[in-house]
Amino acid sequence: MERNPNSGKWSRGGIEENILAILDAFETRDTQDANDDRIAFLEAVRAASVGEEHSTRPTCKIFKAVFRILKVGKSIELIVASYKLLIELEKRFPRVYLSNSDKSESSNNPLELVVVNEAWSPFLFTSEHATSDKKAADIHLSGPLDSSSFLALIQCLAEVTDRGSFQALDVKSLANMLLFQYLVNFLEGDFLPRCATTSWNLQRESLLNMLLGYRKIYKGLMQDCLIVICNLCELHTGLRNHLRSIENSGPMLSKKYQPVAIALLEVGKNTCVSMQKFLMMIMELDILKRKADMEGYTTRADGVRTPLVEIILDELTYSKDTLSPFLQVFNEPKWKLEIIVQYFWKYITKTSVRTRKSNEYCDNATFAGVLKRFSNSTSTKTIIKKIGSEVVQLLLAHGFLAQLSLLSEGHPAEGISSPKEGSNSDLVDLCRNIISAFDSLITADKNVEILSVGKEAVFTAATFISY
Amino acid sequence: MDLSGPLDFELEDPFLASPAIDKKKRKKVIGLDDLLADHYSEQEKLVQKKFQQEKARKVVDSDDDDDGSKAIQAIVEKCQNEIQSISGEEETSVWGVQVFGNQKVSPPLDFPELGNCKLMQSFLNNKLNSMLELTEIEGGTFFEGLLKNGWLLKLAFMCGHVEKPIATWAFNLMLYSSEEDLRTSSCDFLCSILSSTYEVNKRPVKIDWLPDYHELRRALEIYGFLFNFSTNSDPIHNDSDFGGPPQNIRAWIQFVTTCCQIRNKHSIFSTTEAEELVEIIICLFLDRQLQGLLVLMCDCMQSVVSYFTGTEWSSSCESIAKFISSRVSIDINSLRTVECISGLDTRTKQLRSAIAYQILLVCFDNKVAGGDEIMRSLISINLKDKSCDLFKMYIYLVLTENWLLSNQMLEDKPVIKEMFGLYLRNCSCQISSTDLRTYSAKIRVKASYLLQFALYK
Repeated sequence: MERNPNSGKWSRGGIEENILAILDAFETRDTQDANDDRIAFLEAVRAASVGEEHSTRPTCKIFKAVFRILKVGKSIELIVASYKLLIELEKRFPRVYLSNSDKSESSNNPLELVVVNEAWSPFLFTSEHATSDKKAADIHLSGPLDSSSFLALIQCLAEVTDRGSFQALDVKSLANMLLFQYLVNFLEGDFLPRCATTSWNLQRESLLNMLLGYRKIYKGLMQDCLIVICNLCELHTGLRNHLRSIENSGPMLSKKYQPVAIALLEVGKNTCVSMQKFLMMIMELDILKRKADMEGYTTRADGVRTPLVEIILDELTYSKDTLSPFLQVFNEPKWKLEIIVQYFWKYITKTSVRTRKSNEYCDNATFAGVLKRFSNSTSTKTIIKKIGSEVVQLLLAHGFLAQLSLLSEGHPAEGISSPKEGSNSDLVDLCRNIISAFDSLITADKNVEILSVGKEAVFTAATFISY
Repeated sequence: MDLSGPLDFELEDPFLASPAIDKKKRKKVIGLDDLLADHYSEQEKLVQKKFQQEKARKVVDSDDDDDGSKAIQAIVEKCQNEIQSISGEEETSVWGVQVFGNQKVSPPLDFPELGNCKLMQSFLNNKLNSMLELTEIEGGTFFEGLLKNGWLLKLAFMCGHVEKPIATWAFNLMLYSSEEDLRTSSCDFLCSILSSTYEVNKRPVKIDWLPDYHELRRALEIYGFLFNFSTNSDPIHNDSDFGGPPQNIRAWIQFVTTCCQIRNKHSIFSTTEAEELVEIIICLFLDRQLQGLLVLMCDCMQSVVSYFTGTEWSSSCESIAKFISSRVSIDINSLRTVECISGLDTRTKQLRSAIAYQILLVCFDNKVAGGDEIMRSLISINLKDKSCDLFKMYIYLVLTENWLLSNQMLEDKPVIKEMFGLYLRNCSCQISSTDLRTYSAKIRVKASYLLQFALYK
């Protein structure tokens, strides 16, 4: 383990003080002049850390100051620059990484997880809180986040991006979105190396697991995340309406908002990607935990947490309006397919007595299996009766899309065996089954109106078969 | 933990909240009474804020004395500000150039040829069409759906081929559509096709049409990009015409980034065109309206700079620097120009250094020849002189820093290194700490930091 990450010139040469001096003299002001100094400060940190070949990790004080600029910065320039620097710093000086302990070339040795415990982190969870030093007194300024402040951040994002009461057109919202992106980036940097280790003890200590460990807020947090991701899908509509109302009150005003408007759609798009990453990490964590559970590595302290897939399914079945935007925006194929198949399976399986443990998760459910249920009109009719023809179409089309992605990425379709030999024949089979599914949909219900996404699916399938 | 309480970062620093002195107030002579009144209201606010904070989190153990002294410090600082403003110091200037003027009419987006593409025709003749009953007329909207939901990309990958009508149609949507969905999905579509390593039957996806530089340039023209801009004109306060790029500029930047990354497959730009692209991107950095796209623009810069071959680069780097220095005025914008170049790898370091050097040459009216003379001129400036323009000195200092520290020059030329050290000592010692001019402190702090950190590391 790295003993002293701050060794080297940062503290010894007085660089820390000197760089902070650029900031300190003006820290309390909020004028253009002070903003310039903050920019100069960021630039100096950048030059001395990521811009240098043999530089070492900046001290916690420096990290804190940069993070604080992202949190309280009031100009686009400042928040974007501090965000970018934080991302670059994390990439260059990861807090958690895998390293080959044995320096010799033999690559058989498993990689060892290195955690630089002294390194600064934007998170601080309550258990550590008590033992941490008294310096946490200035926590409310540049201080790290815990579960509840993270929840508040998500709630805030959900609120401002709401289409009905759109208010995301300000610098604060941009800053919050960037803050969220950075936090997800940081969680990812901490989580992915731990995933590679196969040790639940290490995975349990991941920031992600600690973040979600607060049972009181977990479910609400997940629901709010879903609201945010669906809102972001519609962000441009909200923005357009909002801009229109501003324009009516004078062109001068809309000019003032132009920089935020241009940034907002870009930042919103990336926030959406980050939110997907966040949800996916949680679903991966659920799997790791389940595996550890089955192998007997978990303890009572690990607690019980509803798997995210279940929460998502409940939300999607409960409020049908979220289904379409969610499927549109969530495009990571593996998990998308999983969610869609589980959705179908909830309705397709015979309602036998479900025991909590065994049936939470249907391992053998596949998309091919779902499509089989659509091969004759009687079973199709039953499904339509249960789910509704629109939802069926949405699920079929998006499932097809996800399965196509997986196949073209080289994953053989589950349930359709024949690895390697011909992914092309897999594709053709898939396309045929999709067409016949839509066919039986029409036969089962003569008045059914095919949604445009359904038409697109049939078009794609037919074109590929005839190609 | 109290869930209903405000978030950490929502509680604002009471000191940050100290009001920015507005211009009207600056002009007024401020009496002691005003200051006292301000002081009291400030105190009151502080007490209130503090009360709220205490309510929010029970862990507060900062002592009052400390807070009190901080408050006084804030007041003192505020007074200092006001004294400064009374002394008639000019305000610090803000970077920013109007890079975009009025937008022109964009080309029509309806595309009759689309219905004639093989993809559509083969389906219309397919017996399955009885199921959907598509007609050619709705081809346009139908294709938009295919594009938005990602089917078109899947089809391209599965068939290994993109027809010309589809490529041009997507290209136009990307650059000119006012619908966010369409411009992002067409941009994703084209970028994925161009950068795909995916192969069908051992061949990469074939695209029948590729845009060239002129089409990208034409798009900028339509967005209102002022190709002959110069930072000398002062259009920033010209509010009468509402200039500004459309949202499509994001797709434009993204697309250029991708085009530059695939030179091994398609060499889309010539060397001079790529040079012009670098210049255009530097201009984009100068537009305040685009400051939120920093990450996008930095990526683009990185990718265009890596587009050049090793042999092209050294001469291209210099000609870009010369061009930029001829356009940028010697003010705060020249610093932005230099600092927008990331300087994280060898090439951007070279470019940063080259541009700073060329601008320095312009600063001395091109009368100096070479680095030694620049340094000699800089050293000869007497900063103690009251008539010395400190703003200009600040610009010289930052430019010199970037010129010398962004490349290996200092290691190779001990004489320049020596002179740079002398210059920095001048900057840090000649200005007294009682000097109240705006840029005095900036110069002093910067120079002493550079002396310690950069020169004798």
